[in-house]
Amino acid sequence: MSAVALGKARRSQAAAGRLQATVSYAFLLTLLLIVLFPFFWMIITSFKNEDQMRSLVSMFWPSPFVTDNYRQLLGKTDFLSWYRNSIVVAVSSTLVATAIGTIGAYALARLRFLGRAFMSSAVLITYLVPPSILFIPLYAQIRSLGLADSLTGLIAAYPSFTVPFVTWLLMGYFESIPEELEESAMIDGATRFGAFYRVVLPLAAPGLLAAALYAFTQAWNEFLYALVFITDVKLRTLPVGLSTFIMGDVYGWGYLMAGAVLTTLPVIAAYIYLQKYMVEGLTAGSVKG
Amino acid sequence: MPTTVAEQFRTKEAVAPARVPQRPDGLKRWLGPDYRLGFLFVLPIVVLVAVLVAYPFCYAIYLSMTRKYVGLPPVFVGFENYVKLTFDGFFQRAVVNSFVFTGGSVAVKLVLGMSMALVLTSGIRFRSFWTGVLLIPWVAPTVVSALNFLWIYDGSLGVLNYLLVKVFRILPQGVGWLSEPGTAMASVIAVNVWRGFPFFGISFLAGMKAIPGELYEAAAVDGATAVKRFRYVTLPGIRNIVIIVMLLSTIWTFNDFAIVYVLTKGGPGGATQVLPVFTYEMAFGAQRLGEAIAVALYMLPALAFVIIVLARYMRRGRGRA
Repeated sequence: MSAVALGKARRSQAAAGRLQATVSYAFLLTLLLIVLFPFFWMIITSFKNEDQMRSLVSMFWPSPFVTDNYRQLLGKTDFLSWYRNSIVVAVSSTLVATAIGTIGAYALARLRFLGRAFMSSAVLITYLVPPSILFIPLYAQIRSLGLADSLTGLIAAYPSFTVPFVTWLLMGYFESIPEELEESAMIDGATRFGAFYRVVLPLAAPGLLAAALYAFTQAWNEFLYALVFITDVKLRTLPVGLSTFIMGDVYGWGYLMAGAVLTTLPVIAAYIYLQKYMVEGLTAGSVKG
Repeated sequence: MPTTVAEQFRTKEAVAPARVPQRPDGLKRWLGPDYRLGFLFVLPIVVLVAVLVAYPFCYAIYLSMTRKYVGLPPVFVGFENYVKLTFDGFFQRAVVNSFVFTGGSVAVKLVLGMSMALVLTSGIRFRSFWTGVLLIPWVAPTVVSALNFLWIYDGSLGVLNYLLVKVFRILPQGVGWLSEPGTAMASVIAVNVWRGFPFFGISFLAGMKAIPGELYEAAAVDGATAVKRFRYVTLPGIRNIVIIVMLLSTIWTFNDFAIVYVLTKGGPGGATQVLPVFTYEMAFGAQRLGEAIAVALYMLPALAFVIIVLARYMRRGRGRA
């Protein structure tokens, strides 16, 4: 190829590159708008008053800017009890799931014992079995244990999906930690448990954090079991409580959206703060190519 | 060729002679060298899986073969529930809807997620910012997202109609997105896609980042066009991830309860009735537990097949098929 032709090719390549970049950014911006708009709309609505919503004026900004919705939500509904319930259920089941999942994952990733391959498969398959085929018999089970209509019942049931997920995710983490580290600790006199506790656990801390965050998010967001297991209005968790706001004839969109904002806040805050771990955990947990 | 640190260690371990304990006692020989700590550590999972998954699952299979009403003892009826369902028009409709819902959602998520990943690998600035923001729908509570869309779709006061009619003037008048049979299914699919496509995108992106750059350079030297590089380098490189993500999403979408329940409860007139919502209504609305579980388990053979295939791929992804 001559120098002139090469130059021409380069120039057209640069032009194509610019075009590609423009298209790429336009596409990403569109996605960004689509992804963020519902959240924007939720926040805006929560600060509007009823009149403004009905008259379709100043659609995209609250005018006047009111906090009545939040006051009504916190003062006149059971929202605060639901919030407390959600925190209790999500935090307890996260602790249970992370503890059980961590030691289980270590054993399945590292220790040699009879039944390990079988249990590894069982964990993975349990993770993949969807709640929609388990919720009726699980409800019967929880009821026969005397835990129906109680937060304890939810705390007992949630590990059925958080533990397999946490275990599967952490197995990957433990496998990526070189076995030599434990072996040298054991040569230096550490027991198997000591090697796990002092050497492996600290190294797996980012994985533990990601796993715990996902367990918390899953428990915080869970809907089906909470809807089925709980009948007492005061014992509802946030997703179920919020969804009952739409059952009446009057849609209180203002305080419904205020509740939606407050429900989303903890998970989004945790996500923004610990995004790096969660993105890594996501790709490690389900797909590791 | 070992690519990760872990794999290098694995290979080394395989080559090195197995360390034989000096005097293995009988139990260790049968139960494995680490059986004490191993059993202790796995015990909670065994109990949990047995009590919360395996037993309820077996009980479900039994219940699906009974006539069971809440508060009454079950009466065994064999496959009667399954046979009845097979010829039940409402059930058939729910099956068709479930396939439309799942097929439509997964297809659109695949296209959007692939586009997202391709754009994000092409030298975009602030990549972690984009991935971070685009993943937000995936972590937000599903019910909250469904409620947001319920409000956005609202026929009289919803912002979607406002945008289409008043701002962009595309439509002459508002549409009842969730209350008209013609648009309800597409509207619930859109919400599922909104929530799920970031997972596709991020997973594909992770797969693409793992493809060695030399492959692209070699392809470019050979004069491969962008389309050909995608076809012969990118796609084979992320093939496993694409399969895993699609199968995972198929299971999740087919069994998605919250979105349809919150948005339409299966309406209008059964237009968006999918199997999980149908199961719920049969169990807790009609109180027919045996038939409800038969609805849930009807697809079990297909589900089991998908799960087994998927589990194989996921274990292979971890390098120990």
